[in-house]
Amino acid sequence: MKVAIVGKGGSGKTTTAAVLARTLARRGLSVTALDCDSNPNLGISIGLGEQVTERLVAVRQAVGDGDTEHAQDATELLDRFGTRGPDGIRFAVVTEIQNPEPGCP
Amino acid sequence: MRVAFVGKGGAGKSVIAGTFARLLGASGERVLALDSDPMPGLAFSLGLDPATLGDAGIPDEATVPAPDGERPPYRLRPGLSGPDAVCRYAVQGPDGVRFLQLGKSRGHRGGSNRGHWAYQQILEDLPGDDWSVVGDLPGGTRQPFYGWGRFADVVVVVAEPTASSMLSARRLAGLARPGVEVVAVASKTRAAQDAATVAARAGLPLRGAVPYDPAVAAAERAGRAVLDTHPAADAVTAIRSLVDRLRAAEMCA
Repeated sequence: MKVAIVGKGGSGKTTTAAVLARTLARRGLSVTALDCDSNPNLGISIGLGEQVTERLVAVRQAVGDGDTEHAQDATELLDRFGTRGPDGIRFAVVTEIQNPEPGCP
Repeated sequence: MRVAFVGKGGAGKSVIAGTFARLLGASGERVLALDSDPMPGLAFSLGLDPATLGDAGIPDEATVPAPDGERPPYRLRPGLSGPDAVCRYAVQGPDGVRFLQLGKSRGHRGGSNRGHWAYQQILEDLPGDDWSVVGDLPGGTRQPFYGWGRFADVVVVVAEPTASSMLSARRLAGLARPGVEVVAVASKTRAAQDAATVAARAGLPLRGAVPYDPAVAAAERAGRAVLDTHPAADAVTAIRSLVDRLRAAEMCA
Protein backbone atom coordinates (compact mmCIF):
# COMPACT_ATOMS: atom_id res chain seq x y z
CA MET A 1 0.00 0.00 0.00
CA LYS A 2 1.35 3.43 -0.97
CA VAL A 3 -0.56 6.40 0.44
CA ALA A 4 -0.05 10.12 -0.14
CA ILE A 5 -1.73 12.60 2.17
CA VAL A 6 -2.58 15.99 0.63
CA GLY A 7 -4.73 18.99 1.57
CA LYS A 8 -4.74 22.65 2.46
CA GLY A 9 -2.27 24.03 4.99
CA GLY A 10 -3.34 23.45 8.56
CA SER A 11 -5.95 20.84 7.72
CA GLY A 12 -4.11 18.05 9.53
CA LYS A 13 -2.07 16.26 6.84
CA THR A 14 1.01 15.73 8.99
CA THR A 15 -0.91 14.49 12.03
CA THR A 16 -2.99 12.14 9.87
CA ALA A 17 0.09 10.77 8.13
CA ALA A 18 1.93 10.20 11.41
CA VAL A 19 -0.94 8.42 13.14
CA LEU A 20 -1.63 6.33 10.04
CA ALA A 21 2.03 5.32 9.75
CA ARG A 22 2.34 4.34 13.42
CA THR A 23 -1.00 2.51 13.44
CA LEU A 24 -0.02 0.43 10.42
CA ALA A 25 3.35 -0.31 12.00
CA ARG A 26 1.69 -1.43 15.25
CA ARG A 27 -0.43 -3.83 13.22
CA GLY A 28 2.75 -5.48 12.03
CA LEU A 29 3.23 -3.87 8.64
CA SER A 30 6.62 -2.67 7.50
CA VAL A 31 6.18 1.10 7.15
CA THR A 32 8.26 3.79 5.49
CA ALA A 33 7.18 7.36 6.19
CA LEU A 34 8.41 10.08 3.84
CA ASP A 35 8.14 13.79 4.53
CA CYS A 36 7.56 15.44 1.14
CA ASP A 37 6.57 18.83 2.59
CA SER A 38 8.90 21.74 1.84
CA ASN A 39 8.48 22.61 5.53
CA PRO A 40 9.13 19.16 6.97
CA ASN A 41 7.54 18.54 10.37
CA LEU A 42 6.46 14.90 10.05
CA GLY A 43 9.34 13.75 12.26
CA ILE A 44 7.87 15.68 15.17
CA SER A 45 4.41 14.17 14.72
CA ILE A 46 5.83 10.67 14.40
CA GLY A 47 7.49 11.16 17.76
CA LEU A 48 11.14 11.54 16.78
CA GLY A 49 11.43 14.94 18.44
CA GLU A 50 12.70 18.25 17.18
CA GLN A 51 16.44 17.51 17.27
CA VAL A 52 16.28 14.34 15.17
CA THR A 53 13.85 16.02 12.75
CA GLU A 54 16.17 18.98 12.29
CA ARG A 55 19.17 16.68 11.84
CA LEU A 56 17.40 14.86 9.00
CA VAL A 57 16.42 18.19 7.46
CA ALA A 58 20.08 19.26 7.60
CA VAL A 59 21.16 15.98 6.01
CA ARG A 60 18.71 16.56 3.15
CA GLN A 61 19.94 20.14 2.82
CA ALA A 62 23.53 18.92 2.49
CA VAL A 63 22.50 16.71 -0.45
CA GLY A 64 20.71 19.66 -2.06
CA ASP A 65 23.72 21.92 -1.56
CA GLY A 66 26.01 19.32 -3.17
CA ASP A 67 27.98 18.78 0.05
CA THR A 68 26.95 15.14 0.20
CA GLU A 69 26.75 12.57 -2.59
CA HIS A 70 23.23 11.52 -3.47
CA ALA A 71 22.17 7.93 -2.81
CA GLN A 72 22.12 5.52 -5.74
CA ASP A 73 18.70 4.07 -5.02
CA ALA A 74 15.76 4.31 -2.65
CA THR A 75 17.04 1.66 -0.23
CA GLU A 76 20.42 3.31 0.08
CA LEU A 77 18.70 6.67 0.47
CA LEU A 78 16.68 5.40 3.42
CA ASP A 79 19.70 3.73 4.99
CA ARG A 80 22.00 6.72 4.67
CA PHE A 81 19.66 9.67 5.11
CA GLY A 82 16.80 8.16 7.07
CA THR A 83 16.33 6.87 10.56
CA ARG A 84 14.23 4.42 12.57
CA GLY A 85 11.33 5.87 14.48
CA PRO A 86 8.85 4.62 17.07
CA ASP A 87 7.08 1.33 16.27
CA GLY A 88 9.92 0.48 13.87
CA ILE A 89 8.92 3.02 11.20
CA ARG A 90 11.59 3.91 8.66
CA PHE A 91 11.57 7.65 8.11
CA ALA A 92 13.28 10.08 5.76
CA VAL A 93 12.97 13.72 4.75
CA VAL A 94 12.57 13.86 0.96
CA THR A 95 12.21 17.57 0.21
CA GLU A 96 14.52 20.37 1.18
CA ILE A 97 13.59 23.79 2.46
CA GLN A 98 13.67 26.10 -0.52
CA ASN A 99 14.10 29.83 -0.73
CA PRO A 100 14.36 30.31 -4.47
CA GLU A 101 15.39 33.38 -6.35
CA PRO A 102 12.69 35.14 -8.43
CA GLY A 103 11.72 33.43 -11.65
CA CYS A 104 10.06 30.37 -10.16
CA PRO A 105 6.29 30.71 -9.91
CA MET B 1 3.29 49.79 4.67
CA ARG B 2 4.25 46.62 2.80
CA VAL B 3 3.72 43.55 4.92
CA ALA B 4 3.87 39.83 4.18
CA PHE B 5 2.41 37.22 6.51
CA VAL B 6 4.21 33.86 6.57
CA GLY B 7 4.15 30.81 8.83
CA LYS B 8 3.20 27.19 9.06
CA GLY B 9 -0.05 26.04 7.49
CA GLY B 10 -2.97 26.63 9.82
CA ALA B 11 -1.15 29.16 11.99
CA GLY B 12 -3.72 31.85 11.22
CA LYS B 13 -1.99 33.84 8.48
CA SER B 14 -5.08 34.42 6.37
CA VAL B 15 -7.30 35.49 9.24
CA ILE B 16 -4.69 37.91 10.53
CA ALA B 17 -3.71 39.22 7.06
CA GLY B 18 -7.31 39.70 5.93
CA THR B 19 -8.38 41.46 9.11
CA PHE B 20 -5.18 43.53 9.06
CA ALA B 21 -5.85 44.65 5.47
CA ARG B 22 -9.45 45.60 6.27
CA LEU B 23 -8.44 47.61 9.33
CA LEU B 24 -5.89 49.51 7.23
CA GLY B 25 -8.56 50.12 4.59
CA ALA B 26 -11.11 51.28 7.19
CA SER B 27 -8.59 53.84 8.43
CA GLY B 28 -8.50 55.42 4.98
CA GLU B 29 -5.44 53.79 3.43
CA ARG B 30 -5.38 52.47 -0.11
CA VAL B 31 -4.76 48.79 0.38
CA LEU B 32 -3.85 45.99 -1.97
CA ALA B 33 -4.33 42.53 -0.45
CA LEU B 34 -2.41 39.75 -2.18
CA ASP B 35 -3.17 36.06 -1.83
CA SER B 36 -0.08 34.20 -3.06
CA ASP B 37 -1.30 30.77 -2.02
CA PRO B 38 -2.09 28.41 -4.91
CA MET B 39 -4.75 27.10 -2.51
CA PRO B 40 -6.21 30.50 -1.74
CA GLY B 41 -8.09 31.39 1.43
CA LEU B 42 -7.62 35.10 2.04
CA ALA B 43 -10.91 36.07 0.36
CA PHE B 44 -12.94 34.69 3.28
CA SER B 45 -11.26 36.82 5.91
CA LEU B 46 -11.50 39.90 3.68
CA GLY B 47 -15.25 39.41 3.63
CA LEU B 48 -15.48 38.39 -0.02
CA ASP B 49 -17.53 35.42 -1.09
CA PRO B 50 -15.26 33.15 -3.15
CA ALA B 51 -18.33 31.61 -4.81
CA THR B 52 -19.23 34.90 -6.51
CA LEU B 53 -15.69 36.27 -6.64
CA GLY B 54 -14.41 34.41 -9.68
CA ASP B 55 -10.68 33.91 -9.92
CA ALA B 56 -9.53 37.43 -8.92
CA GLY B 57 -6.34 36.43 -10.67
CA ILE B 58 -4.67 37.53 -13.89
CA PRO B 59 -6.57 36.14 -16.89
CA ASP B 60 -4.63 34.43 -19.66
CA GLU B 61 -5.57 37.17 -22.15
CA ALA B 62 -3.61 39.72 -20.09
CA THR B 63 -0.42 37.78 -20.85
CA VAL B 64 1.70 37.09 -23.90
CA PRO B 65 4.27 34.34 -24.45
CA ALA B 66 7.91 35.42 -24.28
CA PRO B 67 10.07 35.02 -27.39
CA ASP B 68 11.43 31.50 -27.80
CA GLY B 69 13.76 30.42 -25.03
CA GLU B 70 13.37 33.55 -22.91
CA ARG B 71 12.46 33.43 -19.24
CA PRO B 72 9.95 33.93 -17.79
CA PRO B 73 7.92 32.14 -20.46
CA TYR B 74 4.93 34.49 -20.06
CA ARG B 75 4.62 38.18 -19.22
CA LEU B 76 2.02 40.93 -19.07
CA ARG B 77 1.01 42.03 -22.54
CA PRO B 78 2.80 45.14 -23.88
CA GLY B 79 1.31 48.36 -22.52
CA LEU B 80 -0.06 46.70 -19.37
CA SER B 81 2.04 47.71 -16.34
CA GLY B 82 1.82 46.15 -12.90
CA PRO B 83 -0.29 49.03 -11.49
CA ASP B 84 -2.52 48.86 -14.63
CA ALA B 85 -3.07 45.15 -13.99
CA VAL B 86 -3.90 45.81 -10.33
CA CYS B 87 -6.49 48.46 -11.30
CA ARG B 88 -7.97 46.21 -13.91
CA TYR B 89 -8.00 42.79 -12.30
CA ALA B 90 -8.00 43.37 -8.52
CA VAL B 91 -11.46 43.00 -7.01
CA GLN B 92 -12.73 45.62 -4.58
CA GLY B 93 -13.93 44.28 -1.25
CA PRO B 94 -15.26 45.70 2.01
CA ASP B 95 -13.45 48.76 3.45
CA GLY B 96 -12.18 49.52 -0.05
CA VAL B 97 -9.51 46.81 0.00
CA ARG B 98 -8.35 45.74 -3.46
CA PHE B 99 -7.81 42.02 -3.73
CA LEU B 100 -5.65 40.14 -6.19
CA GLN B 101 -4.75 36.48 -6.06
CA LEU B 102 -2.11 34.32 -7.66
CA GLY B 103 -4.88 32.09 -8.87
CA LYS B 104 -5.58 28.48 -8.22
CA SER B 105 -3.14 25.90 -9.44
CA ARG B 106 -4.38 24.30 -12.60
CA GLY B 107 -2.80 21.17 -13.92
CA HIS B 108 0.38 19.63 -12.67
CA ARG B 109 2.90 22.09 -14.08
CA GLY B 110 3.31 25.52 -12.52
CA GLY B 111 4.72 26.88 -15.76
CA SER B 112 1.51 26.09 -17.62
CA ASN B 113 -0.34 28.72 -15.63
CA ARG B 114 0.25 32.00 -17.48
CA GLY B 115 -1.34 34.12 -14.77
CA HIS B 116 1.17 32.92 -12.18
CA TRP B 117 4.02 34.39 -14.22
CA ALA B 118 2.13 37.66 -14.64
CA TYR B 119 1.51 37.75 -10.90
CA GLN B 120 5.26 37.47 -10.28
CA GLN B 121 5.81 40.38 -12.66
CA ILE B 122 3.24 42.49 -10.79
CA LEU B 123 5.15 41.87 -7.53
CA GLU B 124 8.13 43.59 -9.20
CA ASP B 125 5.99 46.53 -10.32
CA LEU B 126 3.43 47.25 -7.60
CA PRO B 127 1.49 50.51 -7.24
CA GLY B 128 3.46 53.30 -5.54
CA ASP B 129 4.06 54.35 -1.95
CA ASP B 130 0.56 55.74 -1.55
CA TRP B 131 -0.61 52.12 -1.40
CA SER B 132 -0.24 49.69 1.45
CA VAL B 133 0.34 46.10 0.42
CA VAL B 134 -0.64 43.14 2.59
CA GLY B 135 0.43 39.69 1.40
CA ASP B 136 -0.82 36.31 2.57
CA LEU B 137 1.83 33.78 1.61
CA PRO B 138 1.51 30.00 1.25
CA GLY B 139 2.02 27.97 4.39
CA GLY B 140 5.49 26.71 5.09
CA THR B 141 8.83 27.86 3.79
CA ARG B 142 8.12 28.27 0.10
CA GLN B 143 9.33 31.58 -1.34
CA PRO B 144 8.91 33.66 1.81
CA PHE B 145 11.59 36.25 1.06
CA TYR B 146 12.79 36.03 -2.54
CA GLY B 147 9.64 34.93 -4.32
CA TRP B 148 6.15 35.82 -3.24
CA GLY B 149 7.34 37.85 -0.25
CA ARG B 150 9.95 39.99 -1.95
CA PHE B 151 7.76 43.14 -2.00
CA ALA B 152 7.64 43.28 1.81
CA ASP B 153 9.47 45.73 4.06
CA VAL B 154 8.18 43.80 7.06
CA VAL B 155 7.66 40.05 7.16
CA VAL B 156 5.40 38.89 9.95
CA VAL B 157 5.97 35.28 10.99
CA VAL B 158 2.73 33.93 12.44
CA ALA B 159 3.21 31.04 14.85
CA GLU B 160 1.10 29.06 17.26
CA PRO B 161 2.61 27.87 20.54
CA THR B 162 3.07 24.35 19.13
CA ALA B 163 6.40 22.61 18.49
CA SER B 164 6.00 22.38 14.71
CA SER B 165 4.64 25.92 14.30
CA MET B 166 7.47 27.44 16.33
CA LEU B 167 10.04 25.27 14.52
CA SER B 168 8.65 26.52 11.20
CA ALA B 169 8.94 30.08 12.50
CA ARG B 170 12.60 29.54 13.35
CA ARG B 171 13.27 28.05 9.92
CA LEU B 172 11.59 31.07 8.32
CA ALA B 173 13.64 33.46 10.45
CA GLY B 174 16.77 31.71 9.16
CA LEU B 175 15.79 32.25 5.52
CA ALA B 176 15.39 36.03 5.84
CA ARG B 177 16.78 38.28 3.15
CA PRO B 178 19.10 41.05 4.42
CA GLY B 179 17.38 44.41 4.81
CA VAL B 180 13.92 43.10 5.54
CA GLU B 181 12.49 43.37 9.03
CA VAL B 182 11.26 40.04 10.35
CA VAL B 183 8.98 39.95 13.39
CA ALA B 184 6.82 37.38 15.15
CA VAL B 185 3.13 37.37 15.99
CA ALA B 186 1.94 34.67 18.34
CA SER B 187 -1.33 33.13 17.23
CA LYS B 188 -4.02 31.16 19.07
CA THR B 189 -2.40 31.89 22.42
CA ARG B 190 -4.19 30.51 25.47
CA ALA B 191 -1.75 30.88 28.37
CA ALA B 192 -0.07 34.05 29.59
CA GLN B 193 3.43 32.89 28.67
CA ASP B 194 2.52 31.61 25.17
CA ALA B 195 3.51 34.80 23.32
CA ALA B 196 6.90 35.03 25.00
CA THR B 197 7.53 31.33 24.30
CA VAL B 198 6.73 31.79 20.60
CA ALA B 199 9.06 34.78 20.30
CA ALA B 200 11.89 33.00 22.11
CA ARG B 201 11.58 29.77 20.12
CA ALA B 202 11.29 31.66 16.84
CA GLY B 203 14.21 33.89 17.80
CA LEU B 204 12.29 36.96 16.63
CA PRO B 205 11.03 40.18 18.21
CA LEU B 206 7.38 39.92 19.22
CA ARG B 207 4.95 42.42 17.70
CA GLY B 208 1.67 40.99 18.89
CA ALA B 209 -0.33 38.10 20.24
CA VAL B 210 -3.66 37.07 18.77
CA PRO B 211 -5.47 34.91 21.32
CA TYR B 212 -7.31 31.71 20.54
CA ASP B 213 -10.82 33.01 19.91
CA PRO B 214 -13.96 30.90 19.35
CA ALA B 215 -15.31 33.83 17.29
CA VAL B 216 -12.55 33.22 14.72
CA ALA B 217 -13.30 29.51 14.63
CA ALA B 218 -17.01 30.22 14.11
CA ALA B 219 -16.30 32.74 11.33
CA GLU B 220 -13.96 30.29 9.58
CA ARG B 221 -16.58 27.54 9.72
CA ALA B 222 -19.11 29.91 8.19
CA GLY B 223 -16.62 31.07 5.53
CA ARG B 224 -16.97 34.67 6.63
CA ALA B 225 -14.72 37.44 7.92
CA VAL B 226 -14.49 37.60 11.70
CA LEU B 227 -14.56 41.38 11.29
CA ASP B 228 -18.10 41.02 9.90
CA THR B 229 -19.41 38.32 12.22
CA HIS B 230 -17.76 39.41 15.50
CA PRO B 231 -16.24 42.90 15.08
CA ALA B 232 -15.54 43.23 18.80
CA ALA B 233 -13.85 39.82 19.16
CA ASP B 234 -10.66 39.64 21.20
CA ALA B 235 -8.74 38.46 18.13
CA VAL B 236 -9.87 41.54 16.16
CA THR B 237 -8.80 43.81 19.01
CA ALA B 238 -5.38 42.11 19.03
CA ILE B 239 -4.98 42.57 15.26
CA ARG B 240 -5.93 46.23 15.65
CA SER B 241 -3.08 46.56 18.17
CA LEU B 242 -0.77 44.89 15.66
CA VAL B 243 -1.71 47.50 13.03
CA ASP B 244 -0.91 50.27 15.52
CA ARG B 245 2.41 48.73 16.54
CA LEU B 246 3.60 48.17 12.95
CA ARG B 247 2.56 51.72 12.07
CA ALA B 248 4.46 53.12 15.05
CA ALA B 249 7.53 51.07 14.12
CA GLU B 250 7.31 52.27 10.52
CA MET B 251 7.21 55.91 11.59
CA CYS B 252 10.32 55.46 13.72
CA ALA B 253 12.20 53.50 11.03
